Amino acid sequence: MAVLTRDQPACRKKILHACLAVSLLLFSGGRDLVAQGSSKEYQVKAAFLYNFFQFVKWPPESFPQAQAPLVIGIIGEDPFGGSLEQIVRGEKVNNHPMVIQHYHQPSDIKVCHVLFVSQSENKRVKEVLAEMKSRNILTVSDIDGFVRDGGIIRFVTENNKIRFQINAEAARAAHLTISSKLLQAAERN
Amino acid sequence: MLLKDIPIQRKLMVIILATTVSALLLMRMVFFTYEFLTFRHTTMQQLSTVGEVIAANSTAALAFDNQGDATDILSALRTNKHIVAAALYNKTGELFAKYPDNVADILLPAAPGNAGYHYEHLALIGFQPVMQNGRNLGMLYLRLDTGVIMSEWFKNSILIAIVAIAVAILIAYLLSKTLQKQISQPILSLAETARDITGGRDFSIRAKKLGSDELGLLTEAFNQMLEEIQAQDHAIRIDIAKRRAAEAEVNKLNAELELRVANRTAELESANQELEAFSYSISHDLRAPLRAVDGYSQAVIEDYGGQLPEDGRRYLQTIRDGAQRMGMLIDDLLAFSRLSRQPVNKQEVDTGKLVRDVLEELRPQQEGRDLDLRVGDLPPCQGDAALLKQVWINLLSNALKYSRDRKPAIIEIGCNREKDGNVYFVRDNGAGFDMRYAHKLFGVFQRLHRAEEFEGTGVGLAIVQRIINRHGGRIWAEAEPGKGATFYFT
Repeated sequence: MAVLTRDQPACRKKILHACLAVSLLLFSGGRDLVAQGSSKEYQVKAAFLYNFFQFVKWPPESFPQAQAPLVIGIIGEDPFGGSLEQIVRGEKVNNHPMVIQHYHQPSDIKVCHVLFVSQSENKRVKEVLAEMKSRNILTVSDIDGFVRDGGIIRFVTENNKIRFQINAEAARAAHLTISSKLLQAAERN
Repeated sequence: MLLKDIPIQRKLMVIILATTVSALLLMRMVFFTYEFLTFRHTTMQQLSTVGEVIAANSTAALAFDNQGDATDILSALRTNKHIVAAALYNKTGELFAKYPDNVADILLPAAPGNAGYHYEHLALIGFQPVMQNGRNLGMLYLRLDTGVIMSEWFKNSILIAIVAIAVAILIAYLLSKTLQKQISQPILSLAETARDITGGRDFSIRAKKLGSDELGLLTEAFNQMLEEIQAQDHAIRIDIAKRRAAEAEVNKLNAELELRVANRTAELESANQELEAFSYSISHDLRAPLRAVDGYSQAVIEDYGGQLPEDGRRYLQTIRDGAQRMGMLIDDLLAFSRLSRQPVNKQEVDTGKLVRDVLEELRPQQEGRDLDLRVGDLPPCQGDAALLKQVWINLLSNALKYSRDRKPAIIEIGCNREKDGNVYFVRDNGAGFDMRYAHKLFGVFQRLHRAEEFEGTGVGLAIVQRIINRHGGRIWAEAEPGKGATFYFT
């Protein structure tokens, strides 16, 4: 008992050190995530994008083989900052592994299943959409009027919440089957 | 009332009703259990179907974080009023949406449990995973209040059971009322026949056979038995009549015999009386001439003794002795014959006192002798005091007489208590006698000793025997020459 009492101050000091170390580690970890440049908004959007795949069916001819990858294309600047890669890595949609490709020109787009049109492409949305017309590509963007212009899904921020709009006609034109559940979850426009 | 004591009709009905009711109750219980289990299973299946539908509908809402949609989907549960609480949890286990809006927090678990449905107290709890293309999006929680459903179901079930049992009892009652007659009717008619026969002793009555089942057989056997009884009864009646006739015959013969015996006895009695009267009168009449012989012999000796020679006087004296002796004999004979006529007057006799009195009377025979008298305990007896005194006088004087040569003479008087009664005895150490002549001992004028040795007439023991026989007793003696004799009597 006497020995323990004498050692008490030293013991407390050790605990204090440990606590400090843990808090520092947590703090620095958080800062690292911010440093990667993925904002909270785009993390959610990346998750939503991935979730869309669960509710959308592509026509069989869009996959040459059963094991062929599902290609996710991003045209313009990548706003996800790696969070999309993180979500997609190792995952499969209906047995298709996922691959992310970055494009600069609409003409670069060859085999593609999902195309995210970045804010940076604001000016040439219509051009890009025209290029995609009648191809089996799910077009997604957060650019204003994207759906009106013939895009399929558009992210909307409402009351600090991410919502989306769907252009069912455009989807039908692209021969994509969108689950009624997804349509239900979408914002009515 | 015990079942075994109630009438057979009621008994049959009770048995039928009890069997029906217990079978029905058992069936009802089995059915009830089955229903209960089925009900639980069905309820669980129904809830899991609802859960699957709701979970399938809420995939998009969970995937796209749309709480409004989720709440809308859950509100569809309104249609089932027994679902009292529901909630959606997202992938990380946080509460995402709940139903109804004002649900009490205690009805919702803080975090989702394992997938599956289970009963908890009066509630059915279900956790249904929300999946889309094999991807887990969250968990649906459902809570169904089974208490109300169960109690409703239970009430209905009990009501149905009561109605069913009541109807069954009614039907069983009506059926058994008519059907029990099949069994009870033959038994009752048999019982009635038996009662009639027992009451009227009329064995010609026959039971009516109502069917050819076991009861029919019983009736047949009963009738057969009756036939036999009737035949036997007839035989017995004839037998009894014969026996009565034989008995009457025997009685008649007996009466005749008795009459004959009475006649003979009367004849014998009169003959005996005549004989006794004859011997008495003879004895009596013999004394007068004897007194004349003795008296005149004495007168000759006294008046003319001096003129007679010595021999003449001696002859006269001998005549006198003979006459006196003959007188004594006649006296004894008279006493003996008197005994037959004298009635026995039975009363309580103090034997001890009687013996002391007798010994006192016999004092002259004891004087001047070396005598050892041993008187034991003598219990009282029933008898004629005068006659018994004669017995003791004779026996004791005999004992004194035959032991007078002994020094000392020992005379023992006592009584042995034996199972047939008291045996009195007189024992002396006198002359005794030879047992070969014991049968002559109690004869009249029978003597085992010469008159020169011991005087006497030989009537004493005959008197003793006569008295004892008249008392219904027995006398016998044991002796050895020179060693004395013992006389026993009862």
